[in-house]
Amino acid sequence: MIGVGKIKQYANVLETPLSKGKQEVSLSAFAFLFSELVQYNQTQVDNIAELERRLEDAGYSVGARILELLCHRDKGNRRETRLLGILSFVHSTVWKVLFGKVADSLEKGTEHEDEYMISEKELLVNRFISIPKDMGTFNCGAFVAGIVRGVLDSAGFPAVVTAHFVPMEGQQRPRTTILIKFAEEVLRREARLG
Amino acid sequence: MAAIYSLYIINKSGGLIFYKDYGSAGRMDTNDSLRVASLWHSMHAISQQLSPTVGCLGIELLEADTFDLHCFQSLTGGYLNPFIYLFIYKHTRYWFFLPSTGTKLFVVCEPGTQHMEGLLKVIYELYTDYVLKNPFYEMEMPIRCELFDINLSQAIQKDRVALLGR
Amino acid sequence: MAPVAPRSGDAIFASVEHVNAELFTLTYGAIVRQLLTDLEEVEEVNKQLDQMGYNIGVRLIDEFLAKSNVSRCVDFKETADAIAKIGFKMFLGVGASVTNWDADGTCCSIVLDDNPLVDFVELPDTCQGLYYCNILSGVVRGALEMVSMKTEVTWVRDMLRGDDAFELQVKLLKQVPEEYPYKDDE
Repeated sequence: MIGVGKIKQYANVLETPLSKGKQEVSLSAFAFLFSELVQYNQTQVDNIAELERRLEDAGYSVGARILELLCHRDKGNRRETRLLGILSFVHSTVWKVLFGKVADSLEKGTEHEDEYMISEKELLVNRFISIPKDMGTFNCGAFVAGIVRGVLDSAGFPAVVTAHFVPMEGQQRPRTTILIKFAEEVLRREARLG
Repeated sequence: MAAIYSLYIINKSGGLIFYKDYGSAGRMDTNDSLRVASLWHSMHAISQQLSPTVGCLGIELLEADTFDLHCFQSLTGGYLNPFIYLFIYKHTRYWFFLPSTGTKLFVVCEPGTQHMEGLLKVIYELYTDYVLKNPFYEMEMPIRCELFDINLSQAIQKDRVALLGR
Repeated sequence: MAPVAPRSGDAIFASVEHVNAELFTLTYGAIVRQLLTDLEEVEEVNKQLDQMGYNIGVRLIDEFLAKSNVSRCVDFKETADAIAKIGFKMFLGVGASVTNWDADGTCCSIVLDDNPLVDFVELPDTCQGLYYCNILSGVVRGALEMVSMKTEVTWVRDMLRGDDAFELQVKLLKQVPEEYPYKDDE
């Protein structure tokens, strides 16, 4: 029959087998889509802080879903319950699925006990993006910060997560650091668990 | 020794949206570069209008007493046709690259410089990556994208090294 | 310069950088959710998705031309083929076919073999009027407009709405010659 698609039809989404996550699209397709996400959100805000917040919110919903997906598919419906466990889950598993590689580094903040940093020399979402001078320190990585916050929050580790450019010695371009500041309750629980 | 003097990118209305010098020869101030850009744009448009037959895609060869003006393009014209043009003007060559979306790229270089088509294609791809995928770039407006500048310099540097190596 | 044969969609897709389709799918989902929150009316969301697709199309066409070596599309028919066979493949990694031509060759359908936008998606009762993939129709319209073809692109079949395929109808409205800022005496 002419014109019938090759996609199998299911009565509802729950019957559809979960994809193995091996499918790919071109980086360009993603870059154009992400660029349009940023452009649309620019039309909805009055200042850079709001733009950051909106990109973070968009990322949050991705993070919450990716946690659910990965826990179900890759971890047999279990999730990390300890601080270092969930951090390394974000730094390796989540990063690998979303960005095709483990993040460049995961470090503990030197000044504050509740701070952790995931850094990337070149964040995938920033690959083609040059920030205009008049936007100061704005970083589209806010979207990725949102993803991280979405994962952490949904796993029971509420945190404030922000994205920052950090200049690197001997490098033309700054790297992006995702700064995670956990809520007090998380640290208290962690201390209790010993 | 600089093989490439300068690079122009012109939008579809003839406005200069990018200009960069790469050598001492053929350097121009802002006003001159704007003027040259709009001249080439108009000349190309006029040549199409002058054609008595339909479907003319613009200048291929023009001979004058002080200069020759060549252009070449992929064999057939059409709606999705990127053209590449070569102009020879006295001691300078102008290479044009005309994606059919109306944006034009041209490189001014030393006579005898080879493989400009290849370089123009690389520049065109950099434009599609670091300009068109940048959410802060507004279409048809002057290009101010740090990553485009960085990658462009690298591409031209590489090309220069390749030329010197021969 | 000798003409170069257009590259196949498969060859281009194999040579470019990829990302996991799930990142793409979930990011698109985030966009649709933002629009539903911002605009409230499903009809408005359909329009905005189409507009966003259009914005992408006018930018993406240059990459299509640069990477595909498509040098000559004599008519709308060839153009439709290029979109289906090369365009969808090189960007989304999915094949598509062209069918349902009308008699004068100005209207056809593009049927997708697969659609990475809709993984995990089911339309809730409140969004039954949503054309979830409307961004794609916008992309096609925007890209074609940049190469002088004014088109109307609509979904005629949508699996999220219970149809058996994803089918885009592309209707050529007007083919405008290359435009310059001045006009002949009119």
